Amino acid sequence: MFALRRWWDKNALKAGLIFLAIGTALGVQQTNGAFVNEAFQFLAHPFRGNATPENIENSYILDLQQRVVELENQNQKLRELIDYGENSELDITTPAAVIGRSPDNWWQQLTLNKGTKADVKEGDFVTGPGGLVGRITAVTPHTSRVLLLSDPSSQIGAKISRSRSTGYIRGGAGSQATMQFFEKIPDAKPGDVVVTSSFSRLFPQGVPIGRIASVDSETGPAPVATIQLSVPVSNLEWVDIHPYTPKLDVDAAPAKIVTDDNL
Amino acid sequence: MAPYRSRRSATNRQVWNWVVTIGSVFFCLLILPVRLPGMDIVGVGPNWLLIWVVTWSVNRMPWEGAIAGIVLGLLQDGLSAPFPTHTIGLAIAGILTARLHQRRFLQEDLVSVALVVFGLAVITETTMALQLTAQYLSSEDPLYPSLGIIWQYQQRVALSSAILTSLWAPALYYPLKKWWDRYRLNE
Repeated sequence: MFALRRWWDKNALKAGLIFLAIGTALGVQQTNGAFVNEAFQFLAHPFRGNATPENIENSYILDLQQRVVELENQNQKLRELIDYGENSELDITTPAAVIGRSPDNWWQQLTLNKGTKADVKEGDFVTGPGGLVGRITAVTPHTSRVLLLSDPSSQIGAKISRSRSTGYIRGGAGSQATMQFFEKIPDAKPGDVVVTSSFSRLFPQGVPIGRIASVDSETGPAPVATIQLSVPVSNLEWVDIHPYTPKLDVDAAPAKIVTDDNL
Repeated sequence: MAPYRSRRSATNRQVWNWVVTIGSVFFCLLILPVRLPGMDIVGVGPNWLLIWVVTWSVNRMPWEGAIAGIVLGLLQDGLSAPFPTHTIGLAIAGILTARLHQRRFLQEDLVSVALVVFGLAVITETTMALQLTAQYLSSEDPLYPSLGIIWQYQQRVALSSAILTSLWAPALYYPLKKWWDRYRLNE
């Protein structure tokens, strides 16, 4: 007991400081670094000059081309379909500037300078000149964090715009991603445009992702294609944030069948 | 009994020491997302928190290095994601630096520190890859789809991070070390 008292007299301050340090660090970790992100945005603010985004010419044209291809194919299908849901990818909450890259080497992230004050919320998706960039995973009042498509943990349902073959895309930590098809013989050629499919829960369908660079039929149970992402992520300066609520309830109840009894 | 003026300036110096310590950690956290020219190899930036942990642990006990590693690891986790955690890698870096210095394998000059930082950066990235491997082997829905992808990525990241971090280490190490040495001398 006396030894404990002696230890305490000698080391109370040190123990208290260590406790304080670990407590603060835990607090920062639990709040997802909100304080650090806000401070970063505050300090980076004077370095952001103009308020209007400058689009990269070629990528914008590429985006338009891909949208046109998608629209044409959609149009074709619409004539055959009776019931078609809303395509809300064109609503924009706000354009935002990229103020920081990943603070870590294993997660591909971006930090943007718009947050809850600009009505940005978690789950919104982000597009750049060329197509899909990623989705918002954390927000603070003035910043938000984007998890990029190129992060190896992103899995996105995708389809070939021309032939509607579906699969899912996994990021490859660079400007290329790999797409795994669901069918054994997909109708896919290099140069085909890839967009998000209706299977993807975290993104609306029809948002352009990239183009097929090559198809490899030898590996695995189904062919694997290498996708060239159309957005130049390493040079990204401005992005658009779109409002979106992820469809968490995939196994929804079946639609009510209208009969003469309950009409 | 020390005269009043020198006691007061001793407290003053202690306060300044805390300001510099906490301020330098905060500064490192703020420059982590920045990619100025020279700080970027294939999207990978220098690991500033690792440099801070090494600078802190060089003249201190291993357990102090471990605490610093855990605290800074938690801070970096807050900025990125809780799993895989950075605390393990940075804590190991702190412990190793302190022990190497105790055994006289590590001098305090810039070149040896740069070399040690190179090795520790590789070790830190390897601990992250090991955590991801453990998750891949044990869980139903791992973050990465295959071991090959994890370790291929680890090679790329470890090499780039090691080169950049050891190149930028003197920039942070020199001023911080000078401050702490002067503080100890005056104590």
